[in-house]
Amino acid sequence: MKKRIIALLLVLALVTVSGVGCGQTQSETPGEAPEVESANTEGSVEQKEELQVNPKVKEAEKVLMSQLEPLPELKKDVKIGALVISLTNPFWVGMKEAYEAAAAELGITVEVFAGSTEGDKQAQLDALDAMVVKDYDAIILSPIEPFNLQPGILRANENGIPIINLGPGVDVASLEERGGYLDGRIAVDFVEQGRKVAEDMLKYMKGSKKVAIIQGIIGAGQSEGRTQGAKEVFEATEGVELVSIQPADWDRNKAYSVAQDLIQAHPDLNGIFACNDVMALAAAEALEAEGKLDEVVIYGVDFTEEAREAIKAGRMSGSIAYPCSVYAKAALILAAKVAEGQKVQPVYAPLEVVNVDNVHEFEGWK
Amino acid sequence: MSNISKVPVIKVENINKSFGSIHVLRGVNLEVYPGEAVALVGDNGSGKSTLIKILSGTYGPDKGSIYIHNKQIEHLTPKKALAEGIATVYQDLSLDNYRDVIGNIFLGQEITKWGFFLDYPAMEAIAIDLLKKLKINIPDPRVPVGYLSGGQRQGVAIARAVFQGKEIMIFDEPTAAMGVKETATTLKLIHSLTEQGIAVIIVSHNLFQVFDIAHRVCIMKHGRIVKEIPTGDSSPQEVHQSLIGQTGLEDRMEQIYGI
Amino acid sequence: MGFNKNSVEKYFSQLLLLGILLVLVCFLSWKSPFFLTWKNWRNILDTISVQLLLALGMNFVIATGGIDLSQGSNVCLTGIIMAICLKANFSVWSAIVIGILVAAFLGIFNGLIIEKIKITPFIVTLGTSSLYRGLAIIITGGMPIYSFPTAFTFWGKGESTQLNPPIIIACIVLILAVFLMHKTKWGQYSMAIGGNEEALRRVGVNVGFYKVSYYLASALMAGLAGLIITARLNAAEPTAGMGMELDAVTAVVMGGSLMRGGKANISGTFIACLLLGVIKNGLVILSISSYYQQFIIGFLLLSAVVLAEVRQRGQIRF
Ligand SMILES: Nc1ncnc2c1ncn2[C@@H]1O[C@H](COP(=O)(O)OP(=O)(O)O)[C@@H](O)[C@H]1O
Ligand SMILES: [Mg+2]
Repeated sequence: MKKRIIALLLVLALVTVSGVGCGQTQSETPGEAPEVESANTEGSVEQKEELQVNPKVKEAEKVLMSQLEPLPELKKDVKIGALVISLTNPFWVGMKEAYEAAAAELGITVEVFAGSTEGDKQAQLDALDAMVVKDYDAIILSPIEPFNLQPGILRANENGIPIINLGPGVDVASLEERGGYLDGRIAVDFVEQGRKVAEDMLKYMKGSKKVAIIQGIIGAGQSEGRTQGAKEVFEATEGVELVSIQPADWDRNKAYSVAQDLIQAHPDLNGIFACNDVMALAAAEALEAEGKLDEVVIYGVDFTEEAREAIKAGRMSGSIAYPCSVYAKAALILAAKVAEGQKVQPVYAPLEVVNVDNVHEFEGWK
Repeated sequence: MSNISKVPVIKVENINKSFGSIHVLRGVNLEVYPGEAVALVGDNGSGKSTLIKILSGTYGPDKGSIYIHNKQIEHLTPKKALAEGIATVYQDLSLDNYRDVIGNIFLGQEITKWGFFLDYPAMEAIAIDLLKKLKINIPDPRVPVGYLSGGQRQGVAIARAVFQGKEIMIFDEPTAAMGVKETATTLKLIHSLTEQGIAVIIVSHNLFQVFDIAHRVCIMKHGRIVKEIPTGDSSPQEVHQSLIGQTGLEDRMEQIYGI
Repeated sequence: MGFNKNSVEKYFSQLLLLGILLVLVCFLSWKSPFFLTWKNWRNILDTISVQLLLALGMNFVIATGGIDLSQGSNVCLTGIIMAICLKANFSVWSAIVIGILVAAFLGIFNGLIIEKIKITPFIVTLGTSSLYRGLAIIITGGMPIYSFPTAFTFWGKGESTQLNPPIIIACIVLILAVFLMHKTKWGQYSMAIGGNEEALRRVGVNVGFYKVSYYLASALMAGLAGLIITARLNAAEPTAGMGMELDAVTAVVMGGSLMRGGKANISGTFIACLLLGVIKNGLVILSISSYYQQFIIGFLLLSAVVLAEVRQRGQIRF
């Protein structure tokens, strides 16, 4: 009995600690762009957002929406399920918020789910399996890698729930071989992301033109696509030498070590392309510790808040942005369309390269 | 047996112990006097080891009382038992096979400098001395105990108990893995302990082996001490007869039909 | 059994690892002029410092026959607590102290459940690992917390070209661990619990107290690791430290400690960490894709375990 009580007390204490922690972050939300966020306090988001929407976001929205014509009739009882990759990654956390905001704007219902971690393919599939037995009019999903969600998609096909694939692609060829299909796609061209970054990097590299790529998890679509695109450009350009491609599993700490080792092996390294911002930020920290931050151009992908600040501070040189808010809205509209029974074409998301010179144009980008 | 005084160094009354539904000890009474060697004999499973673990504080009895020097001890733990001078050689030897001989002898009573720094040289010197005195043949006390033979391992367990024990020493089948020579040495050692006034309880299922050094033989059966025979007035053959008698036909019936 | 043969036997796994390390070092220095530079070695040491700290803590737990799978989550949660304190304008010192205290608390929590409720360490720490990670995600809402005062980031980086705080911390802890494991009761009892817990109870040792203390030690190492990576990366995020506990186990086992406890080997753990660090560094130095990294580490780990097991079976009777 005494043992049980001790255990219970400990659990209580733990929960209390977490509770206190929670309270603190919500009021502090540390590190997020002070200028924008502070002007934009929770209560008045609705009105101010109209004013603050970045013109570039508007542009992107126009490009996407034009691809979505004719727009569906949005009934109140439309209920969409969305499956993102992981709520431990800032990009997907942003995406979840964007879905919810867009659903509120469109007057429909969305429920967002996620796998447990970025590496746990099975957990993401389990989440999809649970969603497939519910009463969604359509499901939007972004798989960890091209194959992990396929069994769930097959079950959705059987149950007659339309599936939209957003972002990282499902491997359509193998899905069709298994008798499954997608009802719609909002594709991000990862190869194109890699190409665009590489081209922009070349403009800013002044020194040896030796570059290295830090990849995410080997086999992940984003990672492989971005690497391929960047590699193409680097290899096609006279005088540029791609000295190393190293995976760091989307992990900040691993990326830090890889960057440290890279700069030892290639002291005259001139550029690092990391396949996402988290790893790019880690590379920046490592180079700063070496005192080489000024000599190396560092690019990432995703344009997170943290990356935006780093680019403004000159610690990172650039990133690729694709606006979550527009994405989410387009995906929901597409989902509503297929739920109505309309046939749709794949939709391509516009990509924007952000660098030290144009970062000021991306205030309020979401 | 002039050196046996009137106060038992340890006395237990009505000890009961069950493991789940198995009633292993059913009211054991036993007392041992200083300088006395008591042999505990009985079939496998009669509860000898369980009784010994209760005496050493490893198990608590479900019912019954334990007195040391006529003082009742509540909740006897291994720590209290050791503090009262009770040392035990367990049937399973209770050795850490990865630890060397010195480490095993000093387990729980390490010699330290300044309270925390293990003093290996001091421990080694004492251990070598002890092993020599006890005539336990272990050439290198720095060898992990797992490398030793069964007899040598029993020797280590005995050496530890001798180092711990001041008043009462309990041996649970101490010679089971020993050869003839080692057994003789061990029995001689136990005999010399009684001459120093230490009370000894020795468990064995070989009556003839312990008869010569025991002052009293207690026969255990089904969780009870069914007979106590002073060895002075008897021969091993006689005791053996009564032991056989106790485990004869009548006993089988009891076992099988629960009569 | 002669003395010489005996000591070779005793230090077999260390000697083997040292041999591999030496070959690798020779090969890499021949292949690249950058490999043998002090800066590169400082780099390697910096990289392994976190793994080493965790492995040292893990070693005491594994010596008891237990395991602490919550280390990685503890690293993460500790870092986040420190980050929150810093963002709340606590002083750097108090943030660090609070973080380490939280880590210690998490370790004691592990130890008490294992000891008092008698559930196997694997299950308990698997559960608390998820619990602590979950707390980290809830607290941060999945978002990183970043950008700290330089007085804090100093703990992860220090000044370039000099010895880093992480290296210094890891060295101090390494020396302390060797001393504690081999020269004190506290260390010896960790192995004795793994070797024969019942025997230790029977000689009157308060095994429960000691057990909890090893989980505390492991958690304190996680706290230090949390400090280092949060300061080094200038960010705390809910994915930090993922899988670090398994890297620690890898180093411990490769270093010749037995997974079932009873025998621990601190110097082996250190050499294993060094070897792993040199392999990772070498792959980048040689511009070999680390596609091979997993394979090589797996191969070394398995060889070490198989070798240790075969030798063990041949010698110790049970
Ligand atoms: N820890 C235990 N749990 C369950 N049963 C036990 C335990 N220890 C002993 N027993 C049972 O108690 C009985 C007596 O065992 P023991 O005291 O070892 O006998 P002896 O030493 O006389 O051979 C046996 O039936 C044994 O199976
Ligand atoms: Mg027995």
